[in-house]
Formats: sequence, C-alpha cells, structure tokens
Amino acid sequence: MSRYRYLLKKIGWSASTILFVLVLNFFLFRVLPGDPARAGIHDPRLKKDAIEALRVRFGLDKPVINCFETLHPIKVGDCGVNPLDTQFFIYLRNLTQGELGISYHTNRPVSDILVERLWNTILLIGAGQILSIIVGITLGVLAAWKARTSIDYGVLLTGLLAWSLPTFWLGIILLFWGSNNGFPIGGKATPGLSSYPFLQQAGDIARHMILPTLTYTIVYMGEYLLVMRSSLMDVLAEDYILTAKAKGLNSFQILKDHALKNAMLPIVTIIAINLGFTVAGVIQIETVFSWPGLGGAIFEAVGRRDFPILQGAFLMIAVSVVIANLIADLTYSYLDPRVQVQ
Amino acid sequence: MAIQTAELKPSVPSSPLLGFWNTFSKNRMGVVGLLMLVAIVFLAVFAPIVAPYDPTTSEGLGSSDIYNPPDMKHWLGTDDAGKDVLSSFIYGSRVSLIVGFFAAFISIVLGGIIGIVAGFYGGRIENFLMRFTDTMLVIPDLPLIVVIVALTKPSLLNIIFVIGLLGWTTTARIVRSQTLAVKSRKFVLRARAIGAGNGHIITNHILPLVMPLLVVNAILVISLAILNESTLSFLGLGDPTAISWGQMLNFAFGRGAMSTGAWWALFAPGFGIVWVVLGLTLLGHGLEQVLNPRLESHHLMPGRPVVRSEDVPESATRNSQSTKPVILDVQNISIHYVTADKPPARAVENVSFQLHEGELMGLVGESGCGKTTLMMALMRLLPTAGQIVGGKILFNNQDLTAMSEQEIADVRWNAISIIFQGAMNALNPVRTVGDQIAEAIIKHIPIYYEKPVAERVSELLELVGISAEHKDHFPHQYSGGMRQRAMIAMALACAPQVVIADEPTTALDVMIQAQILELLDELRRKLGLAVIFVTHDLGVVAEMCDSVLVMYGGITAEYADVDTIYNAPRHPYTQELLKAFPDLSKPERRLTSIPGYPPKLDALPDGCRFAPRCPLAFERCSIDMPALHALNGGDHLVSCHLVEPN
Repeated sequence: MSRYRYLLKKIGWSASTILFVLVLNFFLFRVLPGDPARAGIHDPRLKKDAIEALRVRFGLDKPVINCFETLHPIKVGDCGVNPLDTQFFIYLRNLTQGELGISYHTNRPVSDILVERLWNTILLIGAGQILSIIVGITLGVLAAWKARTSIDYGVLLTGLLAWSLPTFWLGIILLFWGSNNGFPIGGKATPGLSSYPFLQQAGDIARHMILPTLTYTIVYMGEYLLVMRSSLMDVLAEDYILTAKAKGLNSFQILKDHALKNAMLPIVTIIAINLGFTVAGVIQIETVFSWPGLGGAIFEAVGRRDFPILQGAFLMIAVSVVIANLIADLTYSYLDPRVQVQ
Repeated sequence: MAIQTAELKPSVPSSPLLGFWNTFSKNRMGVVGLLMLVAIVFLAVFAPIVAPYDPTTSEGLGSSDIYNPPDMKHWLGTDDAGKDVLSSFIYGSRVSLIVGFFAAFISIVLGGIIGIVAGFYGGRIENFLMRFTDTMLVIPDLPLIVVIVALTKPSLLNIIFVIGLLGWTTTARIVRSQTLAVKSRKFVLRARAIGAGNGHIITNHILPLVMPLLVVNAILVISLAILNESTLSFLGLGDPTAISWGQMLNFAFGRGAMSTGAWWALFAPGFGIVWVVLGLTLLGHGLEQVLNPRLESHHLMPGRPVVRSEDVPESATRNSQSTKPVILDVQNISIHYVTADKPPARAVENVSFQLHEGELMGLVGESGCGKTTLMMALMRLLPTAGQIVGGKILFNNQDLTAMSEQEIADVRWNAISIIFQGAMNALNPVRTVGDQIAEAIIKHIPIYYEKPVAERVSELLELVGISAEHKDHFPHQYSGGMRQRAMIAMALACAPQVVIADEPTTALDVMIQAQILELLDELRRKLGLAVIFVTHDLGVVAEMCDSVLVMYGGITAEYADVDTIYNAPRHPYTQELLKAFPDLSKPERRLTSIPGYPPKLDALPDGCRFAPRCPLAFERCSIDMPALHALNGGDHLVSCHLVEPN
C-alpha cells in the first residue's frame, strides 16, 4: 500500500471516530436521566409558561431526530418532520459554528469558557508529557541495557510503583509537602500580577506548574519506562544487534544506531493510546492543584451539575485525543519505512 | 542463527498446576504481590472483627474529636467528623475490592466474548467488532465514566456497571489476537475435521489456551477498575452510603485536612489504594513472567569471563598436509552454558582445528551439536549464559580468548567476519542496506571520506551481483537471495582474512542456494579467503571444502580432508550422515535417516555420546568415552573405539 493511501485510510478512520463521538455525546445527554433542564420541564411545581420558556431556551421544543419525539420507543412522534429542524441537526449545525451551548452556572457560552481552559490543559500536558517521556525512556534504556542487575531491578520496581500510584493522591501528597515548603498552593498564577512584566508573569506561572508537572511526570513515566524497557530488551535480543556487535560496534554505538529507533516504535503507539489515560490524570491533577484547565472544568461542572460544560468538555477532550492519535499514526509511518509496503 | 538455547528451557513438570506453582513460588515479585493481596482481602472479609470502631455511626463524637492526631485510642487519628480513620480504612477496603472485582468481571466477560467471536468467526464480524473496539479504545474512558455517573444516580451498582461496561477494550484485543493464533493450530483444525461444532471447539480447545493471558489481563483490569473507582469517589461521584478510600480522601481534601495539617487523614486512604494496586501489579508482573517466560537476555549483556580449568586433557591435533600457513589455530576449546539452578550444559568440549590460508573447512553436524556455539566463541559473541571454560583460539598467534572487550572489537569484522543464517533478521529493518555496509567500513578504517566509502559500498554490492543502485533500499525491499548476497557483501567489507558462513543458505530455495554457494566459492578463490562453512548438508560440503570437521554432541567426531571423509569415513556417525544425503554416483542406494536425536547437553551419556543411536555400538561404548585417535599419520582424527589401534 502506498504511503498516500495509508494516510488517507488513517484520516478516514479518525473522521469516522469523531463522528461516533459526536453522536455518542448527543445521545448520552438525552438518554440518561439527570440533566436539570430536562428534569425541569417535568417538574410539576413549575408553571406552564415557565416550562415552555425552558423548552425553548434549551431547544427542547424540537423533535430529537426526524421521527422521534423523544427516544422513548413507544412515543414515536409525527414522521415527516423537517430533518433540519431537529435537535440533532441543530446540535451539529451549532458545532460547525463552534457553539457548544450555554453554561447553566455562568450563563456564558460553553465554547468561550472551554477554549481558554483548553490552552491551560495543553500547557500542563505538554510539559508533563515531555518530561515523563524523557525520564521514562532514559530509565527504561538504562534498565534494559543493564538487564538483570540491581540497577535494572531498582528501575523496574520504581516503574511498577509509579504505575500503581493514584494520580490524585500523589498530587495531594506533593501539595501537602509543597505548601509547607514555599510552593504555591494551587491555581495558575498569583492574583494581581497581571500588570507585571511578561517575564515575571511567566516565572510565576512556571512556579505554579512545578508540582502539577511533577505529579504528571512521576505517574506517567512509569508506563513509558516499563514499555521502553521491554521494547528495548526485545530489540536487543534481535539478530541484527548480534550482527552489529559482530561488526565490532561498541554498546553505545549499537544502542544509538541500531536499537533506539526500533525500540521507540512501540513508544509512539503507547503515547497515542496513553492520551486517553493522560486525560484521566489531568482531571485529577487539575482538581487537586485548582489548575484552571479542562479537567478542572469537568470537576467543577460535576459539582454544579452544569451539564452543557460537561458535554462540551467531553467532546473537546475526545476529539483532541482522536486527533492526537492520528498525529501519532502519521509519525509512526514516518519512523518505520516498512509501513509503506504493508 | 538460532543459538542453541533449547537446552536452557525448563523441563515439563508432571502436573501442570503443581508445576505452575513451583515456578511461580520462585518468582519473588509475584509472591510478594500475592501476599499483599491476601492481607488486604483478609482485612476486608474480617472488617467487623478487626476494626476497632464502627465507622457507620457517629454517636458520641464531639467537636473535640475532629482531626485528632494518631494516639493510643485512634492509631491513625480521627477524620473531619471525628471518626476513627483506621476503622474507615479497614471498611474502605471492602468497596475497593468489590468494585474492582465485579467491574473487572463484567469487562473480562464482555471483552472475552467480543475477542473470541471476532477472532474465531473472522470476516465482517471481526471487522465490525474490532473497528468498534478501536473506536472505544481511543475515547478517553474516565471523562466518559464521569459523564455517565454524573447523569445517573451515583450508587455502587451503577459505578460497577459503568466501569465494567467501559473497561473491556484491551481484553477484547488481547483475546482476539490469541484466538487468531490458536485457531489455526493443528489440534483445532483436526477437531474441526472430525466434525466438532464451533461451541465445542471454543470451550474445549480455544478457551483453555486463551485463559492464561486472560488471567494476566484480568489483574490489570481489576487494578484499573480500582483506580477508576477511587478517582470517581475522590471527584465526589462515589456512592454516598458506602465508605471508600477515594471518598475518605474526598472528605479530607475538601474539608480542611490540608489546612489543619491532618496528614493521617490524607495518607492512610491513599496508602490503601497503592497497596492493593501495587499488589496486583506485582502479581500480574510475576504471573506474566511465569506464563510467558522470556529469556530476559540480550546481546548487550556482558559475556562471562573466560576461565581455564587445568584438568582438561590435551587431545590429539590433526597434522594436516597443507603447506600454507595456519591463520586460525583453535586448541582444545571447551564451552559451557551456565545457568543458576542447573548443572552447566557442556556445549563444546575439547575441540581443536586449524584453518590455513585460503582453506575452506566444512563444519558438519545436526542441530544442537555445538556448531554455532563454537563459531560464536571464535568471535567472542557467545550469549550471556555461554562461557569459554578452557582452550585457546590463536589468530595469527594472538589468543582471542585472552583479549579485552575493546581488543576483540577491533578483530571482529576487520579480521574475522560472519555471514549469519536468515539474513532477514540479521539486517536492521529500519536502515538502508548500503548504510549498514558503510558502517562496518567506517568503524574499522579510522580516516575515511564519504565518497570512497560510498564507492566501496557500490563495489561490494556489484561484487556479489547486486546493482549498486539498490544500496539505498531497505532490507524489506530485497528478495531473500538478495539479502543473503548483501550479507556476504557486508562480511567482505573490511577485507577479512577469515569468513564464517553459518548455514548461509538455510532459508533459501534450492536455486538461490546453489547461486549463493557458487558465489561464496568464487569469492574465496578470488580474494584468497579462509572460510568456515557451517552446514548440516554434506552434499554442499563435498563440492567445495578442503577439510571437514564433523561434530557430534559437542565433541569432534571425525576430522579429516574432504576425500577421506567422503570415501573412507571411519566414525559411524559420519557414515550414517552420508547415508542420509543423496549421492549422484550411487543412485541405487536408499536414503536412510538416523533414528533419534542428538543428546541433551545437560544430560550427556556416560560413554560415547553417539552410542545410544549407533548401529555398531557394543558394550564398552556406553561405559568409556572414546579418545580422539589419529590415523593416517595424524591427518585423520576419529573419536571411536572401533578405530583404536591395538
């Protein structure tokens, strides 16, 4: 298969996954009970015109999809409704215009709230990912190279322990320690610094980032370490490594020129698959450190039962992860020449 | 280039379950993990007896009891409501274990069914199921779990179902690939051929083989479920009526344990989660090592130091008639494979040979007779378990066994190079062929310029019959024959004096084999190379070799010039080997194979190693090990009692 067709296939797959996410996101919030707007229109204490106002306000006066008044299997509505005038279509049309609804809590558009928070999350994930990959891979290489020595054993146990730590608890412990040792107790910046020069502000943000990033790094380096170790062990047992050794190359040259690139291939896949888990970690870290990102938004929205925010954040996260996966796939095809002919 | 590791594998125990326990109980990580889990399960089951207080009632608690540090009355202090942390901790283990176990049960059953159905039925069903699995795998599960739990009632049952229904994806993928692997095995095909139904095949043949992997996966799924439950509870989405570790942390974190400095309320619950998850992780790691044993060794691990035991008797050496100078003089070399819990496997014992300039020596014997081990020792490339325990390898009068790692690195490829069998794996798949050849040149020629190296690479490729334009291609773009030619070109890159060809044609079809052999023979005449040709095909040896060394069970069986080996072999093993290969001059002769297998190297027979399979064996053969006897004035060496001079 040509590289071109491979890319097209991957892009097509990501597009269909995103479509699935859009549909899932729409129906989840309509099938499951619990949304106060939906609960509100069935509240007997409200007056009729108040209910009607609620229905219009949240677009609930429109049929869900073409033939169904509600998703209740028995209550089939009038067929022949204009499909463009249904909740599902309106949801899709709003999405194309970047509208994700209005927050129940703040009455601001969800997309405005989430976009500024998305950048904070990307900042945190970016720093944490880079650090955990560097630390994890370095330790993994060290363990594999010194296989079956006490170094290997120590690194392996560290990895297993790091993997087993609940992210939020590690965050709490670090925060507990940090708050007694001069670290900021949370948030992204010290209030009142906005008029200060840029460098000072950046330094302040960096100081706030240390503990969340450290939590992230410790939790995620465990898996990179374990994967890198076993991947490199496999590669170093390959015949072509023996060839390289027979050629007279020393261990360092073999690692650098023959083993690392090959051993990195599974890591690229793991990084992509991990992004889903990464998001789980970020929700916890942002909650513990009051970091104003998407994860924090989810936590706050859960507490306030602010469902438009929850829906929007889930959509944003899921779509970002799918796109990041696509990028990882494309990187993989660039790194491994064999992909073109498979 | 399979280095004989078969003798290192553990032997099969009598009862599979007992055998499993025997191996598992030696795995320190696994046992520690199991003990950690047993302890916590004990705590959960006997919580009402073990816990000092009942955490469900808050009677008799005053405001003075809030966040009290640990003391004799409350070993782990009190929480935000003045309750005993230790008691809550003990009861909290119940929720974690219940959620973890039941949610994982749902995931495993669901994932197992999806995986088996997809793998077993294949086609569009598999396509659809795996597309769905991949889609679900990409969607981040914690946000989805949070959304669903937030939209439904946060009861324990709901949490179990949501975590369980979203946690099956990894299981489905693992089970599917294992089912695919098992499906085409012989006994499944046989069962199908005699008319067994799909249900029967799945439950009786596929499930038992998928089970071990499923168990390891289940442990991972349980620990993820426990982590997810604690995260949900920490985020305030736990069942308000059940005390769980996550919830204890939610209360402590949200109700001022941070600001009051009540570390005990923050530490204890998290410690419980880490304890369980770490126990599971260690257990899973241990099980994985037992069920799917890997040798856990690789080519960069340091080799064992050469040792010389003094009591090795000098054996006879061949007195060759060749007038050319000796380049490689191997004297009484012995190699053992050393493992921790077993006696060493004596892979090569007391083997000597001389290689003259321009000589082509055949090294012949069945698989597992020590041929490859001997060749690897010549370049000091033995795997970690391999150890030279005696003898010398003199190359131009320098002892290779006495060299440091750095000194031997200069000899490798520059003076002695090797053509491995199966060139597909011997070439690095992600680097171009030309690049890999150039690397060898650059390594050994200190000053180089890019252009001469590139020219030399082209020249080498042309020499072995590959057009120079292919040098920028990757190994997978070459055919099998081309790869083997490229391997030969690479072996010649530094103009070595000795080339070892370790079964260079095994994986190739007959026509290509003949071409490669012709090429090798032509090159060694043109370049004046000394070649050691390792093979089990005596037909090949007849056409090309000058001398032949026949190995059996790690020792020299017979060593002579090629005419003697073919026309007057004296060792019964050589005679039997010859009968196993067709001879065009005697078309009427029947081909016979030797019954049985070469001896296991860690359980060698007392007497002659070939005695159990030898058609001419007599009483003495199973008692005495025959010495290496010199015939024809020392030109012909045979280790057999039958040739003993009276």
